Amino acid sequence: MCGIIGYTGFRDANKVLIDSLKRLEYRGYDSAGISVIHKKQQVYKQVGEIKALEKNLPDFKGTVGVGHTRWATHGGVTKENAHPHLSSNKKIAVVHNGIIENFSKLRENLIKKGYKFASQTDSEVIAHLIEDNYKDNLEKAVYSALKKVEGYYAIVVTSTDEPDKIVGARKDSPLVIGVGDNENFLGSDITAFLKYTKRVVFLNDGELCAVTNKDIKIFDENNKAVKRDEQVIKWDYKDAEKSGFSHFMLKEIFDQPDTVHHVIRGRVSEIDRAIQFNENVENLLSNGLDSIHIVACGTSYYAGLVGKYMLEKLTGIPVIVELASEYRYFGTRDENSLIIGVTQSGETLDTLAALKEAKNSGCRILVITNVIGSTATRLSDGYILTQSGPEIGVAATKTFTSQILVLCLIALKIGMLKNKIGADEVYKYILQLKELPRKVRQALDQSDEILKIANQLKNTQSVFFIGRGINYPLSLEGALKLKEISYLHAEGFAAGELKHGPFALLTKITPVVAIVTKDFTYEKLLANIGEVKARGPKVIAIADENDTEIEKHADFVIRFPSNSDIMSCIPIIVILQLLAYHVANLRGCSIDKPRNLAKSVTVE
Amino acid sequence: MKAVILAAGEGKRLRPFTETIPKVMLPVANKPVLEYVVDAVKKSGIAEIIIVVGYKKEVIMEYFKEYKGLKISYVTQDKQLGTAHALLQAKSRIKETFIVISGDNIVDQKSISQLIKDQSKYSMLIKEHPHPSKYGAVFIEKGKLKEIVEKPKEEIGKFISTGIYKLPKSIFKTVEELTSRGTNDLTSVIQEVMKNGEEINTIKAESWMDIVYPWDLIQINEAMIHSSKFSVGGVVEKEVTIKGDVSIGKDTTIYSGCYIVGPVVIGEGCEIGPNACIFPSTTIGNNSVVHPFSEIRNSVIMDDTHIGSNSFIKNSIIARGTIISNNFSCISGDNTVEIDGEFKKLENLGAMIGEDCTFGSHVVIDPGIIIGRKCNIESMKKITKNVTSNTKVM
Amino acid sequence: MKCVILAAGEGKRVHPLTFTRPKVMIPIGNKPILEWNLLNAIDAGIREFVFVVSYKSEMVRSYFGNGEKWNVKIEYVNQGEPLGTAHAISVVEKFVKDFIVLCGDTIFGKKDFKNIVKTKNSMGLAKVENAKEYGIIELDKENVVKIYEKMDEPFTNIINGGIYHFNSKIFNYIRKTKKSPRGEFEITDSINMMIKDTNLKGIFLKNWRDVVYPWHLLDANEEILKKIDKKIDGTVEKNTTIKGKVIIGKNSTIMNGSYIEGPVVIGENCKIGPNCYIRPYTSIGNDCHVGNACEVKNSIILNNSNVPHQNYVGDSIIGENCNLGAGSKVANLRLDKKNISVVLNGNKLNTNRRKLGVIMGDNVQTGINSMMNVGTIIGNNCFLGLGAIAKDEIKPYAMIL
Repeated sequence: MCGIIGYTGFRDANKVLIDSLKRLEYRGYDSAGISVIHKKQQVYKQVGEIKALEKNLPDFKGTVGVGHTRWATHGGVTKENAHPHLSSNKKIAVVHNGIIENFSKLRENLIKKGYKFASQTDSEVIAHLIEDNYKDNLEKAVYSALKKVEGYYAIVVTSTDEPDKIVGARKDSPLVIGVGDNENFLGSDITAFLKYTKRVVFLNDGELCAVTNKDIKIFDENNKAVKRDEQVIKWDYKDAEKSGFSHFMLKEIFDQPDTVHHVIRGRVSEIDRAIQFNENVENLLSNGLDSIHIVACGTSYYAGLVGKYMLEKLTGIPVIVELASEYRYFGTRDENSLIIGVTQSGETLDTLAALKEAKNSGCRILVITNVIGSTATRLSDGYILTQSGPEIGVAATKTFTSQILVLCLIALKIGMLKNKIGADEVYKYILQLKELPRKVRQALDQSDEILKIANQLKNTQSVFFIGRGINYPLSLEGALKLKEISYLHAEGFAAGELKHGPFALLTKITPVVAIVTKDFTYEKLLANIGEVKARGPKVIAIADENDTEIEKHADFVIRFPSNSDIMSCIPIIVILQLLAYHVANLRGCSIDKPRNLAKSVTVE
Repeated sequence: MKAVILAAGEGKRLRPFTETIPKVMLPVANKPVLEYVVDAVKKSGIAEIIIVVGYKKEVIMEYFKEYKGLKISYVTQDKQLGTAHALLQAKSRIKETFIVISGDNIVDQKSISQLIKDQSKYSMLIKEHPHPSKYGAVFIEKGKLKEIVEKPKEEIGKFISTGIYKLPKSIFKTVEELTSRGTNDLTSVIQEVMKNGEEINTIKAESWMDIVYPWDLIQINEAMIHSSKFSVGGVVEKEVTIKGDVSIGKDTTIYSGCYIVGPVVIGEGCEIGPNACIFPSTTIGNNSVVHPFSEIRNSVIMDDTHIGSNSFIKNSIIARGTIISNNFSCISGDNTVEIDGEFKKLENLGAMIGEDCTFGSHVVIDPGIIIGRKCNIESMKKITKNVTSNTKVM
Repeated sequence: MKCVILAAGEGKRVHPLTFTRPKVMIPIGNKPILEWNLLNAIDAGIREFVFVVSYKSEMVRSYFGNGEKWNVKIEYVNQGEPLGTAHAISVVEKFVKDFIVLCGDTIFGKKDFKNIVKTKNSMGLAKVENAKEYGIIELDKENVVKIYEKMDEPFTNIINGGIYHFNSKIFNYIRKTKKSPRGEFEITDSINMMIKDTNLKGIFLKNWRDVVYPWHLLDANEEILKKIDKKIDGTVEKNTTIKGKVIIGKNSTIMNGSYIEGPVVIGENCKIGPNCYIRPYTSIGNDCHVGNACEVKNSIILNNSNVPHQNYVGDSIIGENCNLGAGSKVANLRLDKKNISVVLNGNKLNTNRRKLGVIMGDNVQTGINSMMNVGTIIGNNCFLGLGAIAKDEIKPYAMIL
């Protein structure tokens, strides 16, 4: 997934483009480039981070240009493969986010016609195609060229023949128009140009636009002119700083005592023993529900799995959790199903596609997200914000715990509405919720002990995580975090499943992290630990602080503060996050920007 | 002109409150002490601040990251060796005359302005004080510094040094000399400079406070609460009486029957009442809950706390995350404490309770008792002696 | 000759009205402050304008458009970040050559525009009583020698009026200007540099009005209303009394029993009456309703608000989309007749006014029989319950039940 930007106005384009690209860097950062028009296309592109590009930025004259940050999907990471790409006659510059599925055939035909290619990317094809279709009007040329393309794209195009204009087009990839005074912007998302203007015009799928510094024209997929109103964005893009922490991820793990509060504040009243959401959400939750489906990807999917335990225990309603990318291929749903989409960014393409499917089946859509104004919120019938502040580290940490807490609040609310849980029980849960910041702080206090244990893991090849009941999805998340940032192989298993296959993988050198809570799963899990130890590996137990038995069974113990069976998951997660962080740090991995990963995946 | 603010210290004498945050970040009227210092420095016209951090520096850096357009840079003092050593860390950022001030000294903006305007090469702020022996007595002659006597045995003189100086860039030579010899405090540097024949001009500061011991927090809260911004947010139910200067944060609910007499500051996301009484000069942090029929008077209650119903809290400090069940009483009165080998008499003091404690119901605490962090006290206990952190009282 | 108007500021000291609009868009006499400057400038012969915007710029743009309503040309430039007056002026460099520039939230008279336009390299000066709130001017005959910052004991009462006539050379001085102690790029610093090379004439302004705090709007409103002419476009029923200069907008209805003492401005589509009493120096916006048994005096009511049944509103400002429940009343005079203090942005201020009612932001709803004490400031989107008592300062989105 890449970030693209276009500018036409009165300011120095090279400065505006680099500034905007910096804000899009989270989308992809193998390489970046810009091209500014001043009599010709002045291209500057490099492999590496935007900071490096900025240092050596040439003094290009010109107030119109395009820019790009790249996350490689086709073709290796090289300077030639970086965008912008120029057409053969060097007049047209293109930046592209997406995948051109039929690019090899198109490339073949263009080469036969005599066009010369400089890279191996699918994107470059677009530049030559536009040149091939160009008569005297850039947007008409782009329209004709795109008709031949199969795949997904958001592109911005400039031509030295029409030097004031930037042309944008999108299909299943985001592109937004930023409206300024005597200047206009195109960007992959609003944060690219939020510093310069808060006015946007949303481009719909399949549409194309021709933008000058004073004029915005939009055309639909049949090339008919379209009128559209602008909207004003209310939020500020605040660049979080690491504030003395060595990594954003560590800072975000330590943000959790606060973020846990932000989910609760304004929604939970201890004195009144009440849980309240906004009107739309209250309506969604109060009408008869036969089933709940949770759709999400990655870490959010695991939050959904944790949510399933909570929802089924507190409401008695059957809950199905589906991977968003699989959801549209099967699944039963109807108007009495509540579909909960969980997506931190609100832009995850797979999740959006699943929600669109569900909406077409007449289901009610509830979205849990961290980004106000995102596509998911606009698709939903009601949404709940996790209010955790921007999460810069690519691996999700604070947004994961916030998502679980929102699901917990939903479970409690529905439980109350259905009279499945009494006021006293609700009160107990509310007290637990309010105590969470304290419990999280206690878990964070263990950081040094966890570092010692991380030392045990840093040189292994493989780590296994096991848990039962609500701890099973936690083991999946623990493994995922470790995998994501330390590049170790790690896998989570339901403890009861080990004997049905995975035992074969256990050896003396594959440590096992066992999540042990003092509830009805306790005895069985101790037995599982026994089985594991019999095969050689060391066992690291994450156990209740009051558990005195566990030392006899595990080789190492990390303690989490006692809590109700449902709420313990939060401090346990914090411990798993710290474990992954310390292992990755000891192994010298790039924690905030792990290789090959980008935040908010908008490619399918 | 730049200002160097020394904020690296732990504040050991303020334990248990400084076990998790540096001294300068202790909250007074819901703002960290350091924020008062930064504000005063900013108002006196300084546009660039260098903060020397050390102990638990992330807490400071996270709070001040983008502070009201002021340019703030941080330098780290890895080992807390002393004030002169701390200042030395900022050497590379100083190109001309500068001000150095300690992050835990609340001083008024006018005095800082006067210090800046003063034309002498060296100048310092001094303060009239009834007990100079606590700090070091300062003697002046014709407005210039004559002598500093540290820890005098008797009560002599009437001025003390505030530790706030305006110094030329050349001071770093002396600082380097002395620190390399193992003398790490600023007072010695000043004395050395005087020995070399330099004149140090003295300016009387109008108001100056510092925090050394936990009970100082209560006094400073009372003094500084008047500078808060008083407006009412959140939800205020019927039959609530609010008198005087009261600040209520957003998302806070004040339930019926509460009686609040200002100056009182209540943070955001709190739930107060019903029928709770809050009297001057009390500060309650964010996300705290005060249950019905409780009375809180002249106390500092920090974030995330729970005060059970029918509790009485006076002249006390309750740190973050502490959960107290119903019918809790602190007895406010006199107590004698041993500090630095001496006995001090403290008057009108309640309890000082650390972070994340859990108290059962009907707990009673004698005057002046300090309870550490993460302590667990069972119901019906009377606490007559200090309790160290991580202790269970059963 | 272009006229640059700085309209980018939020105007924090005019909270709560500026939570939801830029300061220049606050209406007095039913026109935004910025429009009064526009009209006076047009009267002085100016036809081309550049507005420097930022905070809630869409409101300025949607009201003024490209200027065709006034037969002038208006362009907009977005300042981006609030970095000070010099920075605000610097963004128009590519758009102007010889130009005048003024702070959009200070009101200047027609003659003042003419005089400044006539004199190249000049700036406007005003004489005030409380000079320590403003930058002080040192003059040498008719030339400005230096602009000083605010001082506690000013040596003169001649202050910087906030209107200038520059040519493109000023941009060179702006480029050299460093950040002031408060972290902004100030045009006064640039001017002080320019004065060393060029003469700058000081021109005394005849009609200068500054709005610092919300209650100053009431004074400005009064002054503007003194100059209006009677114009009745709406429907006036038979048994109403209209005395003095009153403007009634299109489609507005004045029902029987209404008693209106001018000068009063009433906007379009309003429903006034029956049986209400509207007293002098009151401006009522568009789509408003002042109903039965209501009395409104010396107040500004913004668009789409209702004072519908048995209310008293005196010496007050009511924001947009507000609804006063039946019987809601405002107190505007202390029983001991002393000057009224308010709490604004958490700080106590003496308004030096004997009479001041409520300053209410947008979207506020008050329950029936609710009471607002003298000098109460109510943030936008607040809610006063049945019989609730409001006093001091109430933050936005708060509920007093």
